[in-house]
Parts: sequence; structure tokens; C-alpha cells
Amino acid sequence: MTALSPVATLPRRPSPLAVASPLATLAGRRFALTTRTPRELLVPLITPILFALVIAPALKSALHTGSAYEAFVATGTVGLLIPLNTMFSGLSVIVDRESGAQRELLAAPIPRALLVLGNLAVALAVTAFQVVALIGFALARGIHFDASATGVLWFVGAATAFTVGMYGAAETLASRVPKAEEYIARVPAIAIVPWFLAGSLFPISALPGFLEWFARFLPLTHGLALVRYGLLGDATPLHDVWGMSNATAMAGLSLAVVVAFAAALTVVSIRVFTRSAVR
Amino acid sequence: MIEAFGLTKTYPGDVEAVKAIDFEVAAGEVFGLLGPNGAGKSTTIGMLTTTIVPTAGTARLAGFDVVTEALAARSVSSVVFQEPVIDRSLSGRRNLELHARLWRVPAPPIDELARTLGVADLLDRPVAGYSGGERRRLEIARALVSRPRVLFLDEPTVGLDPLIRAELLDAIERMRDRTDMTILLTTHYLDEAEKLCDRLAIVHQGEIVALDTPTALLAGLGREIVELRVEGDAHRALGVLRERGVVDGDGFAVGSTLTVPLHDRSAADAIAEIDRAGLAPASIGTRRPTLDDVYLRLTGGRLAEAA
Repeated sequence: MTALSPVATLPRRPSPLAVASPLATLAGRRFALTTRTPRELLVPLITPILFALVIAPALKSALHTGSAYEAFVATGTVGLLIPLNTMFSGLSVIVDRESGAQRELLAAPIPRALLVLGNLAVALAVTAFQVVALIGFALARGIHFDASATGVLWFVGAATAFTVGMYGAAETLASRVPKAEEYIARVPAIAIVPWFLAGSLFPISALPGFLEWFARFLPLTHGLALVRYGLLGDATPLHDVWGMSNATAMAGLSLAVVVAFAAALTVVSIRVFTRSAVR
Repeated sequence: MIEAFGLTKTYPGDVEAVKAIDFEVAAGEVFGLLGPNGAGKSTTIGMLTTTIVPTAGTARLAGFDVVTEALAARSVSSVVFQEPVIDRSLSGRRNLELHARLWRVPAPPIDELARTLGVADLLDRPVAGYSGGERRRLEIARALVSRPRVLFLDEPTVGLDPLIRAELLDAIERMRDRTDMTILLTTHYLDEAEKLCDRLAIVHQGEIVALDTPTALLAGLGREIVELRVEGDAHRALGVLRERGVVDGDGFAVGSTLTVPLHDRSAADAIAEIDRAGLAPASIGTRRPTLDDVYLRLTGGRLAEAA
């Protein structure tokens, strides 16, 4: 048999270009693990689809509202789907730490931030698949959207930035709590409670005064307002937040809020992960 | 190839896991850290593999500082962890390929390693279906994929049944003979240390209490020892034997058992002197010294009990 000899020379520091390859490897690994557990793809879809296709039509009928309300709730469920899916993705970080290959990855000659970014890339891809599925189901159910090409861009920008931010929250939580049980116990407070306050089922202007103010500070409120502006052409939710008349300016401000949320949570998640992974 | 100077780790609460240890391991050498659980072996490996930040001191792998040049230090090393650290739902081959890509190995010798470690037939099955021994062999193969200059084996056979353990030790020994990589091995199994290591550091409560070749460590106790079990206070009995010159400074008592290194004295002489001392031992015998005796003399506790 051939002798196994150590390598002779090795790079001291990876170039920026060299980082892309390990990132793709890490994302590929996470994707392979995700596709082997289909529940990660399907379970987060159940509740939003239930809201969009069953509860929204039922509310429309019971409250004697028009078809616009179905579209309002269907777009609002995007604000439930993204947090639920990203929190599910965060759970895999704990599985990796407790019974997976996280320590092997920490011993690899790559910047440790890439471990977070590799997971984020897959969380984004899975979320995109789920949002497309949700919208597809809504269209199949006869729910009408009114989206221009520019509107779709606003929607994609808002959904992407909000997904990045929520994954940052999930990764941060996963790095901070020791057990999956503790993580799951915190999911409703992070993924579900804000959804009820952010104008998902009714405009935030219908909330009591102090809650309406509070809702304006939730990134989800801005994200949902942008989703509705993009997919329904309705600037009312943006007006409820900003009280301005220029829709594009309001959309730009809300997008800036969501992007800032995404950037802050990504930085925090990388910092918390690298600190908790290394003792 | 491995250098540690004043390497120290103090965890929150002033828990001193590793206390300013110094050692150097030459290229191609197999170096063992021998000690019970909690001695500081895994913390030392953690610092050398850059997953634990040293509180003080320095360490270098192939010249790369593990703190200031962590990426370069990681690029020349691989580690086999004490617990299973592997993606179980992926195949063995996929796990090895991942390692190769992360360590940027252009032509990883996956099939060759799998044959060497005896997992070639399992390579395309999910790791979840592997036995404990098969999984451990796969993890060793994975660590070798990047042809590391330094390989860390953290308690490589712990938790395995005796047959699988013996097979794995043989595999590691074959690997050792065929490569010129430097291996740092931690263990609390004496036979493992004796069989695989060129030199050993005995670690006790975060400190290195002895460092030498297994042969030299054993030679310190002479060719033969007398072991006797006494009724009553073994330490008092040890004192009696010391007064009579039967025991030098390296004799020791644990529980009711006295261990008496013979050095230049014959066993018959020692046993006759013990009789004359009136100790009336419940049992008495002679045997060759083991690393357990070395450890016991240095630390006052048996490895098997401490582990």
C-alpha cells in the first residue's frame, strides 16, 4: 500500500476568492443534510398555508369582507412563514453541535464566520422555495395579486433582507441556548407573537395606540408593508408606518430598516457563534 | 513540529484545567498524553486545535502559532475527537469529501484510506448505519484525507469493545509505521500508550508530572516489583519497610496494597525482609512494573480508578 505522506506547503491566509469555495462546500453540506430531513422543508409551510388558504377565506366569509382581504392575509402569511422557517433552520445548528460535525468544521482551516454564512445561504434558498410555494398555492386558490416588475423587486428585497435578519436571530439563539428543548420553547415569542402585532391579519392602525407605536419598530411590520406594496401595489401599510405621501420614499425607508435589521443580526450571530463555539 | 510553552487554561470560576505545561514533539514522533479524565488532556488538544483559547503561554504547530496564525495551524493538522463528530445522515464518502474540500485537497486518497482503515465496503452507506468501531475508523480516515503534518487523536478507542479496540489499535499502529506525520495521542489506557507512543507525558491535575519514553519511565521502577496486601494500616506498614531499608523513596501504598520496586535487590531478599518485619501479608507476589505503577507513584491514584 502507498505511504501516506503529509503535505509539504500550505497557504498561510486564504484569499477572498478562496473563501468562496469553502462557503459553497458548507452550503452544499447543509443543503444535503436538509434534503435528508424533508420535515425541515415541509413543516414550516403548514401553518402559513393553513392561514392563507383556509383561515383567510373563512374570515372573509365570516366578516363579510371582499377578496382583497384574502390577498391581504395571504401576503401577511409570508411574515409567518419566514420566521418559522428560519427558526427551524436554526434548530439544525443545535443538532450539529450536539450530534453532528460542528467540531470538525471548527477545526477546519476556514474562517468560522463561513459556518454561519453557509447555513444562511441554505436558509435563504429553502425560504425562497417555501415563499414561492405559498404564493403558488394562493394563486391556485384564486387569490389575486397585483404585482408589477418593480413591485416584485420590492417584495424580493424585503423578503430576502427579512430572512437574513431572522436567520441571524435564529443562529444567535441557537448559539446561546444549550438544548433544543430550550430553543423550541423560545420560538413562539420570536416567530409568532410579532406576527400578530405587525399588521398580518389587520392593519396596524387597528391596534390600540401604544401597540401601534410599538408595531412601527418591528422589522416585520416594515417587511410586511413592503411585501404588500410589492405584491398588491397597496401603499396603505407603509403610510400607516410613516404617514408620508410618497410611496417610493416610504418603501425605501422601510427597506432600509429591514436591511439594517439583517446586517445587525448577521453581525451579532457571527460574533455570538464564534464566541460560543470557542471556549 | 508541536511546541507548547507555559500553555495554560483557566476556565471561569478559577478552574485551572492546564497549568503552564511545556513540551515539544519532533516531526514524525508519536507523543502521548496519559492521564485520567479531567487531567487536562482534552483541553490541551483543544488549545492546540484552536477550539479553546489559551489563558497564557504559547503553542505552535509546524511553526504556526495557534492563536495568531490559527488558520495556518489548522491547515496543517487534523483531529479525531473523543466523541463521534460526524454527519450521520451523510455517507462515509460524503463526509470524507467534505473534509477534503474544506482542507483544499485536490486529489484526496479517499478509497485508499478507506481500504487501509477497513471501511471501503461501507463508504457509500449513511454513517448512521455504522457500528461504533466502523464510525471511529471512518473518522480516522477522514482526518488523514488532508495528509496532515500533525494528527491529534483524542482518546481514539474510548467506549469501544475490546475486540474492536484491538483492531483499531492495530490500524493506528500500521498507519504510524507508514507515515511520517506527527501524532499527538491522549489516552487513559496504558497498553495503548505503551504500544503506540515514542514518548509519553503523564498528566495529573493539569500538570505534566513525568515525560519520557515508556521504557525510561518503566526503568525508573527497576526490573521487578513486589506487591503485597496487608491487614490494617498500609501506610504504617510502608513506614516499617522504609525503616528496614526494603523500600526506597519510590515505594507506595494504595488502600491495603503496598508496591515495592526492587531495583538492585532480589525478590527473595525483599520477601524475607518483609517476613522478618512481621507484617504477615494476606498476599504477596512479584511482577514486572507497568505504566500504572509509574502513574501511581507519581500521582497516588490508579489510572483505571481515576478514569
